[in-house]
Amino acid sequence: MESYRGSLARPGAALLWLALTAAPAAAQGGSGWGIREENVSALVLFIVFSIVIVVSIRLARMGRPLFVRRIAGLNAVEEAIGRSTELGRKVLYVPGIMSIDEVQTLASLAVLKHVAKHTAEYGTPLDVPNKDPLTFAAARETVKEAYLEAGRPDLFSDDIVHYITYDQFAYTAAVSGIMVREKPAANFLVGSFYAESLLLAEAGQGTGAIQIAGTAEVAQIPFFVVTCDYTLIGEELYAASAYLSREPVMLGSVKGQDFVKLMLLAWIVIGLLIATFFGNLALQGWLQPQ
Amino acid sequence: MTALFQRLMNIDRRWLYLLVGLAAVIPILLPLNLPVNVAQSVQDLYDRVESLPAGSVVLASFDYGPSTGPENDPMADAFLRHCLARDLKVLCIALYPLGGVTEGAEELQRAVGPLDPANGVLESTAFPGKFYGRDFVYLGYKDGGQATMRQMGENVHAVFPREYYQAPVTDYELSNQVRGYGDVSFVMSFATGIIGEWWANLVNAQYGTPVAVGCTAVSAPKYFAYYKAGQMFALLPGLKGAAEYEYLVKQKYGQIAEATAADVYNAGKGWDVQSIVYTIITLFIVIGNVGFLLERRQRRS
Amino acid sequence: MFRKRIPLLLTFIAGMLPILSFLFRGPALRDEDPTGNGILHVSDTFERWMVILAAAALLLGVVNVFQVNLRKISNRAQGWPYALVFLLALTITGFFGLWDAFSRASNTAWYAHAAYNWIVEAGFKPLQATMFSLLAFYVASAAFRAFRVRNVEAAILLAAALLIMLGVNPYVVRALPFLPDLTQWTLNIPNAAAQRGIIIGAALGAASMALRILIGIERSYLGLQKGE
Repeated sequence: MESYRGSLARPGAALLWLALTAAPAAAQGGSGWGIREENVSALVLFIVFSIVIVVSIRLARMGRPLFVRRIAGLNAVEEAIGRSTELGRKVLYVPGIMSIDEVQTLASLAVLKHVAKHTAEYGTPLDVPNKDPLTFAAARETVKEAYLEAGRPDLFSDDIVHYITYDQFAYTAAVSGIMVREKPAANFLVGSFYAESLLLAEAGQGTGAIQIAGTAEVAQIPFFVVTCDYTLIGEELYAASAYLSREPVMLGSVKGQDFVKLMLLAWIVIGLLIATFFGNLALQGWLQPQ
Repeated sequence: MTALFQRLMNIDRRWLYLLVGLAAVIPILLPLNLPVNVAQSVQDLYDRVESLPAGSVVLASFDYGPSTGPENDPMADAFLRHCLARDLKVLCIALYPLGGVTEGAEELQRAVGPLDPANGVLESTAFPGKFYGRDFVYLGYKDGGQATMRQMGENVHAVFPREYYQAPVTDYELSNQVRGYGDVSFVMSFATGIIGEWWANLVNAQYGTPVAVGCTAVSAPKYFAYYKAGQMFALLPGLKGAAEYEYLVKQKYGQIAEATAADVYNAGKGWDVQSIVYTIITLFIVIGNVGFLLERRQRRS
Repeated sequence: MFRKRIPLLLTFIAGMLPILSFLFRGPALRDEDPTGNGILHVSDTFERWMVILAAAALLLGVVNVFQVNLRKISNRAQGWPYALVFLLALTITGFFGLWDAFSRASNTAWYAHAAYNWIVEAGFKPLQATMFSLLAFYVASAAFRAFRVRNVEAAILLAAALLIMLGVNPYVVRALPFLPDLTQWTLNIPNAAAQRGIIIGAALGAASMALRILIGIERSYLGLQKGE
């Protein structure tokens, strides 16, 4: 509830409504404003999606109970940190290699906050090496606030979150070196990864660490699945912040997203039936974004 | 017997690394020339290039760096040589920030021979009669990713005012002629990571320009979805795709076969290595599973 | 107010612009606007500013690299020789890189370009290729360890992997000529279907997360405390 106070849902909705009502009128007036006709299908989906999410959030605020299925990887976070504490070794958190404009990185920072709070509570050393400078800056603030919230600002130091290099494989070499030399007991590989996913995960696997990975990069998921103990696949990563915080408002948005997925599934099945039995592909042109 | 399989099952991984290392080195030194089976996605690219009339322009984008050079370089070589042998014109750009620009320059030089446009050396030694600026040109690297692709759709000259060797693009016939995606027959992206998807999602979807991608093997499963959906008309999946395309091109063009044979490394050699390594991995997987099943049977009894 | 509201407002504006530019058209803001669409032009301008911001943040990163590694060296912490090598490599490459860039602008000092080029060709490129080539070994060890018939799912994983690997092996294909078609079918149909399912799910998840960030529900990336 608290995190929803002061959100921009109302002004955002008002702005969008203004744009939708003004655009056609302006287009008629020939002032250059208008809806991009080639992307009308995307506009419809955007409006439907936004309405469903906002309604779900409102229902969640009303106290309606929400069921979210168990996500093993997220349930194992505390177990992993606990293991590190018992062994007296550190926790390594790799927030992906992309910048802060990538949604996966933002999702990773939400998980990082949760991990940092636990490492602060247990007094477990944390290491967060970064490839992207903007991510590094954001991660530092996130970890600092997490330690503050946990009541252990004395344990925070600038060395926890540090920058390595912008080059993909130089970064991989550095992180692999940290894994092999310093042998963290728990490795978190959460965010956007590319070719270095297997390099990092296999290097970590060789040290015997418990590994929790999470990415929405479809090509890298198989590598994480075969080398890590737990893997968050695709949307599980994005649901992580809602799942870990258990805030009704955030869980409501996850439920709304599930409802939209159901709608899309129904749409696919209906389209499939129409195309198969009636051979009618008329809708195809409208659905294709230009 | 069971004991032997169990030992193999728990073998130190360094023995596996040694075998893989030998499998990687020996075929490079002693080419095996293993046969290839051409996939439809590769055949589609070959057929498209063969079907274009002489003088058609294609846009080749170097969207990879040195790290994926072993996979992407051979496909770029084969494609550039094929286009020049078919009398197509090639406009080259680079969009990958870490090394794309050098990869583009190197592969172009490898395909056409040493060039020095800044000092008037414009004719290709590998394809006599083909000139830099008229038959092929390299505009260099531009950052911005999708924003750059969008701007190119409006005005290529605004994005690339100068070519790689710093002459104004209007100075050369080919670069002057190409203003937007409508002036090219298709886009060929040699991609690592996500850039190939941007070409399909943005340029093909919004401008209708046909797009083909040569990608790394690890991205190939994802790109097949785009190929099946028609957002890419052709796909070269990894080193296998490069080897198949090189095979097709060598079959028809003797000069390309000679040039490829002279290369220290080419897709055929790379594919030999990959085939042997696949065989070793498969053998060890089978051995590992046999040992696992024998051990389980022993435990039950 | 400044700590909370202004970042949220900036996030909202910067996030809504690409969405609005994709859905709506606006009048061209200036004659030399190549897009002819004012909203799209502003959105593209924001993307270019992001590149400038990232360059500025890179400086922050470099400062942090020096701070952390100098501290490691002075304290003789675990791994301090590697920190020394790291700083030396950074300094030398940075020096020649900057010298090359400035000398090119003034058209002098060809040797700066030669030195930087040598570092890239003889050092950077081979090291990059080496790291990438480790994948070949790691794929082998990961496959050997992971493809065991422990349960039904693992058996399906094993079967799919063997189908793909054997389907591209020239000798196996000679003995089983139908295999390449089966391999291609597996890649084109079940694989594409599964990939699309994951892509759609992930895209919806990303859209939901993006909406949460846009309307200010998700604030962990800002480092705001609970209740702020």
